[in-house]
Amino acid sequence: MANERQEILEGLLEVLRTVRTIDPAKLEGVTEETDFLTDMDTPSTELINIAAKVEQKFDIEFEDEDIDRMGSKVKDVIDLIIMVRERSANK
Amino acid sequence: MSVAGRRVAVVGMGGAFPTCAGLDEFDKKLFTGQSLIREWPKALQYPKQIRSTVAGYITEPEMNLEAIHPVPETEWPETYVDHLGRIPDLNLATADLGCVWAMIGALESIEMAGWTKEETESEQTGVVVASGGGGNVVSRHAWHAFYELGKKTRMAGSHTVDRAMSYREAANVSCLIRNRGVCESIISACATGLGNIGYAYRLIKFGLQDRAICGGVEGTALETFIGFDAMQVLSKGFAPEQSSRPFDIKRNGFVCSFGAGIVALEEYEMAKARGANILGVVDGYFNNSDGDGNMFYPSYDGQRRLWKGLMADAEIKPEVVKVHGTATPVGDILELISVVDTLGEDGYHISAPKAQFGHMLGAAGSVEFIATLLMLKNQKVLPCINSDELNTEPENFQKKEGWQGSDKPAAAYRHLISQEIVEKEINQIVCLNYGFGGTNSAMAVSRDDR
Repeated sequence: MANERQEILEGLLEVLRTVRTIDPAKLEGVTEETDFLTDMDTPSTELINIAAKVEQKFDIEFEDEDIDRMGSKVKDVIDLIIMVRERSANK
Repeated sequence: MSVAGRRVAVVGMGGAFPTCAGLDEFDKKLFTGQSLIREWPKALQYPKQIRSTVAGYITEPEMNLEAIHPVPETEWPETYVDHLGRIPDLNLATADLGCVWAMIGALESIEMAGWTKEETESEQTGVVVASGGGGNVVSRHAWHAFYELGKKTRMAGSHTVDRAMSYREAANVSCLIRNRGVCESIISACATGLGNIGYAYRLIKFGLQDRAICGGVEGTALETFIGFDAMQVLSKGFAPEQSSRPFDIKRNGFVCSFGAGIVALEEYEMAKARGANILGVVDGYFNNSDGDGNMFYPSYDGQRRLWKGLMADAEIKPEVVKVHGTATPVGDILELISVVDTLGEDGYHISAPKAQFGHMLGAAGSVEFIATLLMLKNQKVLPCINSDELNTEPENFQKKEGWQGSDKPAAAYRHLISQEIVEKEINQIVCLNYGFGGTNSAMAVSRDDR
């Protein structure tokens, strides 16, 4: 479980490095508690782009409601990815 | 309405010009009679689908930009990297290619103008910039992802609106320079470039603003090009540098080009008081419509009324008339006749800069305005290259019953249309641009020490 969360975090960091509006310096020392909006100064309009990139990176598809409910912390995105993976596996 | 005694100076300029690293190279190439037209590799990729393959295009690397493609196999530019660090990443994220050029041109204009941060960010500083077309590159990929690939809307990215909306250039420039005055776009097809400068001129002349960043843009886009190619109005069958041939008897269409022309305008006395370098003083601006219900065909009556309107409020006696001169079969000679019938048959030269850099659509009027300011600076008339042979017979429209204008052929006016650069005293130049929908615009600009 911890391994899966770590693997997702690393993949997420790879995605975030491609987002030009996030200062690369802010990606040093990112933890699950890091907040995209308050800690990384990510423009709120960029969260939807991050979600779309995450879908491509992890080969998953969020429901619109998933994104509506998504929080702004790194752990919220990781939780969502795991939930969507499990949901797909159970189908 | 005009405020008595209030005049408008041009104090800065900049932008994006095909095959040129910047304004200085643009100046040098124009006044050595060079063509900026090339064979366009992107058009050549579609040999069975495209008629014309020449253009005045600008690639990203030529502007020291790099397009970021999130999915390597697509052409979709998710955003740009500015390798010269002129534009912050946050501003690049909301910009299509034309917006990036507009922002670069705005920064160059402000630097040349010498405005302070306070002046730039003032409530008295406006932004009036637009392009002729939509954000076609960004829209195409958004629509393809949705309609063809069946993707969620978010796959188009969250910047489809700000990167493709009609007034994206003004919005991006304003967010970059943080002015607190007007931020708007004037969109009028190929009169867009001059129309934005004209509107900004009026804002200052009417006392609503003291300064303005204004002009027109057309970002390189095959998506834009193909619409004109479909109309079969683009030049075909010549070597690239010979493709744009206003007034020449063999002309068969315009060369589709791209670029950006941005200028800084300022209330004259304020500019003078702070010791600004005055590039030109706007004597007047007028615009109107043909009123004949024809989307495309130029109107002699509309152009004569345009001149009348321009002359109503200003002393107009130009040494050069910078014409729209696209190299389409009817437009050039009809425009020539409307100029001759207004100004007479002698005493000025006609310049058609599209001969050298093609038709930049929404940027045409503003880039040609910059070429006009360079003519004032250099005291030289740009050459009508490729106008090798003028028709010795009147055009068909001159033979129609009811034709009101001169019935002389183009060749009778060879002395006005020089293929070589002409050095002479130039105090005033009139700029003319027209657009689909029968819209016409005219601006007169003079030397400060006139």
